[in-house]
Amino acid sequence: MAEKNNSIGRLIITLTVIGALGALFLAGVYEWTIPHILEHEARARERAIMEVLPEADYYEEVTHNDKIFYEGYDENDNFVGVAVSLRGGGYAGEIEIMIGTDPEAREIINIFILNHQETPGLGARITEEQFRENFENAPFSELEIVRRTPEEPQEIEAIAGATMSVEAVKNIVSRVGDIVSEYYGGGS
Amino acid sequence: MAEYFAIFKNGLWNENPIFKLIIGLCPTLAVTNTVVNGFAMGLATGFVLISSEIVISLIKKFIPNDVRIPSFILIIVTFVTFTDYFLGAFFPDIADALALFIPLIVVNCLILGRQEAFASRNSTRRAIFDAVGMTVGFTWVLVLLSAIRELFGFGTLAGIDILGAGYTDMIIMILPGGAFLTLGVLVGVLNLLDRKVGSDNG
Repeated sequence: MAEKNNSIGRLIITLTVIGALGALFLAGVYEWTIPHILEHEARARERAIMEVLPEADYYEEVTHNDKIFYEGYDENDNFVGVAVSLRGGGYAGEIEIMIGTDPEAREIINIFILNHQETPGLGARITEEQFRENFENAPFSELEIVRRTPEEPQEIEAIAGATMSVEAVKNIVSRVGDIVSEYYGGGS
Repeated sequence: MAEYFAIFKNGLWNENPIFKLIIGLCPTLAVTNTVVNGFAMGLATGFVLISSEIVISLIKKFIPNDVRIPSFILIIVTFVTFTDYFLGAFFPDIADALALFIPLIVVNCLILGRQEAFASRNSTRRAIFDAVGMTVGFTWVLVLLSAIRELFGFGTLAGIDILGAGYTDMIIMILPGGAFLTLGVLVGVLNLLDRKVGSDNG
């Protein structure tokens, strides 16, 4: 430690130099890593869309009122459903969910959790297949959480120890009906 | 060489950060619910610790005493941010699992503590041995802790089913409460062991 050089100027210069070098280094790191990070995100989104629209062969991005919809088509160019990504507050942070819907049947096809910060092992179990299956063929309406095997299509089975996370997912997914119906009138 | 080995060994047991110094408990309690998380956290913390001990031991002569703590923090923050982006770019699964605990490495007092207690007073070579020793010491306790919690909480070890389907998961072990319980018992047992070994030798 340089004990004798404690003049205020010296202190400012030291911190400025360390801060500037650190920032320079991190700017380089950012340039280097950000293409990979964006690529992972894009690939995760693409995988999520194909997962929630299983019959789709390809999809097209369509924007209605600044909201992006992913329209899925099969190999004969028939419309098979539309996916949309919605976010909402979870237990530990924001949850982002890709939701595939069939606007004509007014049903949810499947969901996929894109991002979440829920507790590993508890809330994070919302990403598991077993929980996501709850939403297959769920109707466009307010869904319900039950603590037994679901009998009705709108019923979602709770996860022990993850009440808040399940509630959050249910609330986010329950919004999709109105959003999709606004642009995809369907058969109703 | 024996001197360097002694510094290295220090972190493994005599001055083990978790069960002897009882520092760095924030990630210790938070992420140790599965072995994979515990191990990844140990490595991420270790990387930051080793890099910042090297840099700080190299530039210690240029840092005025009055601003040494802010200087250490700036250097630590740089390496933590690097780790965050690096994991996000090349190990997205680990980055997802550890999520916000990576940025929190900044405030891990193990890292700042070693800069203040060791790197700022010793040669770079000694600092490297200290950092590696502390990293191994930190990581083995994290892995042991998370193995106990994962085994009782999920009936698995590193995702492999151990206790079978008939086992009822003890949810408490996965929650923060389980971390306190396990850590308390573990520190007690290890210190008992330490005392026993010490009295046998003396």
